[in-house]
Amino acid sequence: MLEFQVGRAGERAVLCGSGATRRDFLHVGALAAVGLSLPQYARAASEGKVRPGCEKRSCIMIFNLGGPSNMDLWDMKPDAPAEIRGPFKPIRTKSDAFEVSELLPKHAAIADKFSLVRSCHHDGAAVHDAGWQIMQTGRRFTGGIQTPHAGSVASYLLGRRTDLPPFVVLPEIMGRGGGNLPNGQAGGFLGKAQDPFALMADPSRPNFRVPDLLPPDQISVARLDRRRKMREIVEGAATQFEASEDARLLDENFQAAYRLMTSPQAREAFDLAKEPQAVRERYGINRFGQCCLLARRLVENGVRFVTINTFLTVFDEITWDIHGSKPFTSIEGMKNIVCPMYDQAYSALIEDLHQRGLLEDTLVAGLSEFGRTPKVNPAGGRDHHPQCFTCSFAGGGVKGGRAIGESDTIGAFPAERPVRPGEIVATIFHSLGLDHQMHLPGPAGRPFALTDFGTDPIKELFA
Amino acid sequence: MRPRVLAWLMVCAAVARGEEPSFQLDVMPILSKASCNGGGCHGAIAGKAGFRLSLFGYDPASDYLTITREARGRRVDLQEPGASLLLTKPTTALPHKGGKRLDVGSDDYQTIADWIEAGCPSPLANEKKLVGIDLGPRESTAAPGQTVTLAVTARYDDGSTRDVTRWARFTSADETVSMVDPAGSVSVIGHGAGAVTAWFSSQIAVANIISPFPHAVSPATYTSAPRANVIDELNLAQLAQLHLKPSPPCDEATFLRRAFLDTIGRLPTPEEVREHLADRSPKKKERLVALLLARPEFVDYWAYKWSDILLVTGAKLRPKAVDAYYGWIRDRVAENMPWDQFVREVVTSRGSSLEHGATNFFAVHQDPETVAENVAQAFLSLSINCAKCHNHPLEKWTNDQYYSFANLFARVRAKGWGDGAREGDGARTLFVESRGDLLQPKTGKPRPPAPLDAEPLPMDDTGDRREPLARWLTSPDNPYFTRAIVNRVWANFFGVGLVEPVDDLRSTNPASNEKLLAVLSTFTKEQGYDLKALMRLILLSETYARSSMPEPENRDDRRWFSRAYPKRLMAEVLADAIADVTGVRERYTEVVRADGSTEKVGGYADARAIGLRDSAVKNAFLDTFGRNPREITCDCERSNQPSLVQVLNLSNGSTLNDKLAAKAGWITQTLATEPSPQQLVVDAWVRVLSRTPTDAERKPFEEMLTAAKPEEKRGIVEDMYWALLTSREFLFRH
Repeated sequence: MLEFQVGRAGERAVLCGSGATRRDFLHVGALAAVGLSLPQYARAASEGKVRPGCEKRSCIMIFNLGGPSNMDLWDMKPDAPAEIRGPFKPIRTKSDAFEVSELLPKHAAIADKFSLVRSCHHDGAAVHDAGWQIMQTGRRFTGGIQTPHAGSVASYLLGRRTDLPPFVVLPEIMGRGGGNLPNGQAGGFLGKAQDPFALMADPSRPNFRVPDLLPPDQISVARLDRRRKMREIVEGAATQFEASEDARLLDENFQAAYRLMTSPQAREAFDLAKEPQAVRERYGINRFGQCCLLARRLVENGVRFVTINTFLTVFDEITWDIHGSKPFTSIEGMKNIVCPMYDQAYSALIEDLHQRGLLEDTLVAGLSEFGRTPKVNPAGGRDHHPQCFTCSFAGGGVKGGRAIGESDTIGAFPAERPVRPGEIVATIFHSLGLDHQMHLPGPAGRPFALTDFGTDPIKELFA
Repeated sequence: MRPRVLAWLMVCAAVARGEEPSFQLDVMPILSKASCNGGGCHGAIAGKAGFRLSLFGYDPASDYLTITREARGRRVDLQEPGASLLLTKPTTALPHKGGKRLDVGSDDYQTIADWIEAGCPSPLANEKKLVGIDLGPRESTAAPGQTVTLAVTARYDDGSTRDVTRWARFTSADETVSMVDPAGSVSVIGHGAGAVTAWFSSQIAVANIISPFPHAVSPATYTSAPRANVIDELNLAQLAQLHLKPSPPCDEATFLRRAFLDTIGRLPTPEEVREHLADRSPKKKERLVALLLARPEFVDYWAYKWSDILLVTGAKLRPKAVDAYYGWIRDRVAENMPWDQFVREVVTSRGSSLEHGATNFFAVHQDPETVAENVAQAFLSLSINCAKCHNHPLEKWTNDQYYSFANLFARVRAKGWGDGAREGDGARTLFVESRGDLLQPKTGKPRPPAPLDAEPLPMDDTGDRREPLARWLTSPDNPYFTRAIVNRVWANFFGVGLVEPVDDLRSTNPASNEKLLAVLSTFTKEQGYDLKALMRLILLSETYARSSMPEPENRDDRRWFSRAYPKRLMAEVLADAIADVTGVRERYTEVVRADGSTEKVGGYADARAIGLRDSAVKNAFLDTFGRNPREITCDCERSNQPSLVQVLNLSNGSTLNDKLAAKAGWITQTLATEPSPQQLVVDAWVRVLSRTPTDAERKPFEEMLTAAKPEEKRGIVEDMYWALLTSREFLFRH
């Protein structure tokens, strides 16, 4: 219903710009955007759903593909035997509660702003894509039911806040993980309409632009409007598509695309050239660094949920997946590319959000599909280990500088306060102001709680 | 603790047989049912809390030693069975991180206690063996709210049977239709049909739960529905069972477009549309089908499809090898080689990679494990890679079977391998050594080579092990081979497979219509694997010809074929259709290498997308619309899902906009003939949608064109084509 109103508002605004140039077109788009009155919808949709005071909340989920080594980064075991503790040393941080690895000096300097949960575990297979689906949706897919990504849930419950899509994935949807399993980066049973908008481009490339965001020069406002009207005539008779989800979705996508391409705010939000060079360099001129910067711009412009994939897959490039044997790197190898890149971008994002006053309303959740085995393997690497790993949380109401949960002396299993994926997803919903026991319409009308009964947010992060 | 004799006599099967409990037949099923040996518990690779069992109990001998000998024998206490860790832990008499798994005094508790008291008898070599399980009733019809109780019966090699329902584990394949509890009680919650699977000691059985839709459809609807062949018979029988109404046949123009797109991957030309619609002869459908199956574009389309499965990609192979590989596939499609022969020739290929293109199947992935996985996935639609590290969690494939299967490829070598498939000119010579084995890493010893569940081959045979593999693979008795290809062909024409996902033929994932899949498999064997015969049967069926217009009594149908399902055109077909309509070809000039660098390639100057040999040819449109990158053998690699990015591409991207604005192309050409507005509109509809416009569609466009100033006309025509080319009627096969 809302989609319809939005379309009408846009149409009216564009009509008066007949024969206009592209510059005018964008101006008219701005007026249209003002007329959209989307906050009304957001309010209505979220009535009773969002905890007072959390209306401005957003989430940036950083998904660390490959599975970082908790033992060498955030949960070091300096007193363990050499075959456990690995080659690196812990360093003091700005938090009294935890140390981090010498690989992460910039984390150490901002440790008062983020907290660690060191007792995460799941009972899914030690396969990348199994962990991807469990950690991003809070559940393992069973019985043919694919549960939605936390961002898709937010998108479904709250809708978009501005012309920008409510849920964006940077730089693109996760690739293959070796197990041929669904990766959880989709709307699942909420439908493809809640799938994220994926950028599909590398923002660190020179002259980066969102592919096809703007019409070509020869298509004036008048023509754009004419095309839309013509398409409506052609679509008018096409009733055979109403029972096809894909076909319905395509039509919704045409409306969303029109909104996006006529919105100056969207163009602005995606335009990294608007950032001073010093800011771009502070995040690091690489794909992940610029994705973090772009995520900040998107959140500033009303996107509710941004998921950044640290890497595209666990193949074809050096990732957190440090098996030691070729083509993977060893534990040592982390110090060359991956850790400096991550340390710089993560700390820049947290500080930048903080300096702009955005951190209090933006949860930054650093997740991964699993951690690594306590024992260093013969190749000098560590293998997949979902039994115990560390996730990080900052902003969005989370108090920094804390370490929640504990692993045992060798990091093999949680020793204190074990945390399951459902609790992590519940924590995200809690930060967004959503009641995690609220129900979604599941497959075949089955009510589906946001997280399973008895699965609660990690409250200690907020207290 | 003493056994409670009475309860023990009543339920314990061991006593009923007058024997002491057996480790393998009695104790292990209890541990499995309680999930002691699950992947999250003691079945994990590293075990749990110092206690490690084989995953789901695939290795009883080692589990026996672990339980009776490890931990200084504390796991079993022969004097005082109740003090055994095996009983004190799962009952939480001692702290157990896995929580309570067993109740003190329960039947299962007693069985374990009795086994310990009997002195922990070891698994015996001459013990009877489990040969299979039956799950009944095999098919039940029930309404939402009702319950179906399932029973699992184990069959042993001595002919005896036993009710093992209590120790079986159940899963529902479709939890929108039914849920199942640990006792095998099925609650029906929705409409449709869904399988419930039972697992017991690595054996699997499936029962079907049917929950008819609440539609009132008269029996006459089914008896009077048109039927052309066996597909319709079996499909209508199922629709009647589910109370789904078949949609009426689609009109002739829709059928023509659908058959063209599905069979040869292109739109009918305006002339072909006009000719077909004007043809009034009674056998026109048969003639059309025969014509399509003989068209040269048939070869392009199906060679492309098989190239997806066989991973023809320049990211992994040198250009000459790509040419030879694709050329081999293409020539086989052109000569309509029977599918079984096609597969035999691939898996037994040898010699020069440039002369015998099929050998490149082994060059794409060179290690025996990946080759084995690809063979199983491509030709049997079985994913065996879970079994590389442990027994397949819910399948019958064991870790040992995996290494037996992979060992079939251990002797395949090629001159020049090892440097990477991308080095040099791509010329390799594949040969088979007479010795050498793949080691099963758990034992450090090779497994006897065996084609999955077939008898092993002698280890010392120096012949090419791939020959017996090929015979087993394509034997009429192989239960997977024919189903796999039939399902792939079916899915091509219906958009949805009889089994979904299309290449996932696990036994726990039955077809939506098992009888139909069985009959089509028999038909395909009888036709000597001539796939065109199967395609002809499908194309001439009334089931294929149904309208995509939903009826109130079938709109919830997603997999029973009561109506046609609209399907977005595959990326390559869409790219070609846009090029055909606009009369402007796409340029394909570069290939993207695995490292991201690009390389100029010739030979694609006027190529159609469906004629590209190589999935690594650079093209943003094909990537955006989800072509198969051919990195792994998996149907999941191709995506036909519409996305916002695709819509932005159609709206603002260069592919469509540049072609509409092109100086040389159909729009320029037709405007030069100064057609009337009416002619322009009708031409556009026939060209893009393969039908003539209705009056409601025609009039507004004619008016716009009539009122247009001469300098505006071109823009209006371009925009009309844009509107048609972005309509769902064009983007979808419907």
